[in-house]
Amino acid sequence: MECVVQGIIETQHVEALEILLQGLCGVHREDFRIHELCLKSGPNLGLVNSEVRLLFDLYQAEPTWTVKHVGGAMRGAGAEQISVLVRTMVESKASKNVLRLFYALGYKLDHELLRVGFAFHFQRGARITVSVSSVNKMLKLHATDGDEAVPVTPGIQLVEVTAPATPENYSEVVAAVSSFCEYLAPLLHLSKPGVSTGVVPTAAAAAASLMSDGGGTTL
Amino acid sequence: MPLKWVLHWQPNAGTTVNTQILNEVSQCVESINGVKEGRWKATLTSYKPMVREQSLTAEFPRDFFGISLPEQPNKYYFMIRGQRLVVEADSTIQTIMDKLQSYKSRVALCFEGFQYQLGDFQLRVGKVVPSHSENLRGIVMEVEYLPISSMEKARQIMEEFVDIWQEAISKRSLPGHFMHIEPNFSEYGLLDHYTPQHTAVQYATVVAQMIATQTVQATRN
Repeated sequence: MECVVQGIIETQHVEALEILLQGLCGVHREDFRIHELCLKSGPNLGLVNSEVRLLFDLYQAEPTWTVKHVGGAMRGAGAEQISVLVRTMVESKASKNVLRLFYALGYKLDHELLRVGFAFHFQRGARITVSVSSVNKMLKLHATDGDEAVPVTPGIQLVEVTAPATPENYSEVVAAVSSFCEYLAPLLHLSKPGVSTGVVPTAAAAAASLMSDGGGTTL
Repeated sequence: MPLKWVLHWQPNAGTTVNTQILNEVSQCVESINGVKEGRWKATLTSYKPMVREQSLTAEFPRDFFGISLPEQPNKYYFMIRGQRLVVEADSTIQTIMDKLQSYKSRVALCFEGFQYQLGDFQLRVGKVVPSHSENLRGIVMEVEYLPISSMEKARQIMEEFVDIWQEAISKRSLPGHFMHIEPNFSEYGLLDHYTPQHTAVQYATVVAQMIATQTVQATRN
């Protein structure tokens, strides 16, 4: 399981967000450049339609493949009351021929993306990851070079806060994620995926403040 | 990692494998001073596609296997033999496959028995049984040579060891013999340096051979 919230920020304020995150997390950012392939089951395969993502981090010296399955979100009155989405998520590292395996099993490429950005991984009541990335589509199949990938939303970057959870501890993880998100509120608003809240009006002022004094001001 | 050969018991025509043979094989390992160390277990699962229209099953691979090995408890190996494809993944991939609901287990075979140390060799002798059953389907034996990882460099010593082993077992006049089939690893993109993926390919080869032998015998009977 994982807890997740998302938000968007204008690219011009990303540097300020990074300064804020650096101060909050106390760790260095890690860059990533992830080629993400979304595969869907062919028309006759499976009792239900299924979807699996293969991620390939091109930034690593020895790139590895990760198979990722994102399941349904937790539902019900309790889930609606919390501001964080709780959903099943399973990942597995795999050898480089895993794409060939899924093609052989009857999965087809639905779409592919290139996510370019950075992430902070830290412990704050839960093992939280904050990633800031621009999402690009590829003009040609599997073409991950700079010129061949164009941003899906120019000038806007995606911010995602995730933390692994279990059925036993998810309420504490939700609390940890929610409380962390409050620190970012002047720059961006984070909400459940699919619930778009847009950019926040205070972002420009908050960013200017962060940039002018190196993040020393209490927001 | 050290390389190994996976051998299997090939019964003589008209005979079948039984627990008496397994006991004799185990005794034979001890008679050549193999020191019993503990139990081991590997599993091989054959998967079948879950299709909405049965007539279209032929579109999907029939020889899709998943293998777990005792020396790599956090890993899982997928194979499609016909396409010479072997993939290594974390064991969590099994949860992902369950959630996708596109393939399900057709049959699972367990390989289980005892491990023996014999100088620089590690031997594993085990029965092959369907999971949740004691119905003996075969006998396997792993011969692992601990000092070397190169298949080619170890070839001579492996051949010599297996010759000695065959001679020891032949004295017991059992109705069959151990057989070693070496898959063409390069077809799977595997190199001379031994990896767990080599072991997965050997297990799948052994199972395919067992099924073929049993099918021939069933046809004769």
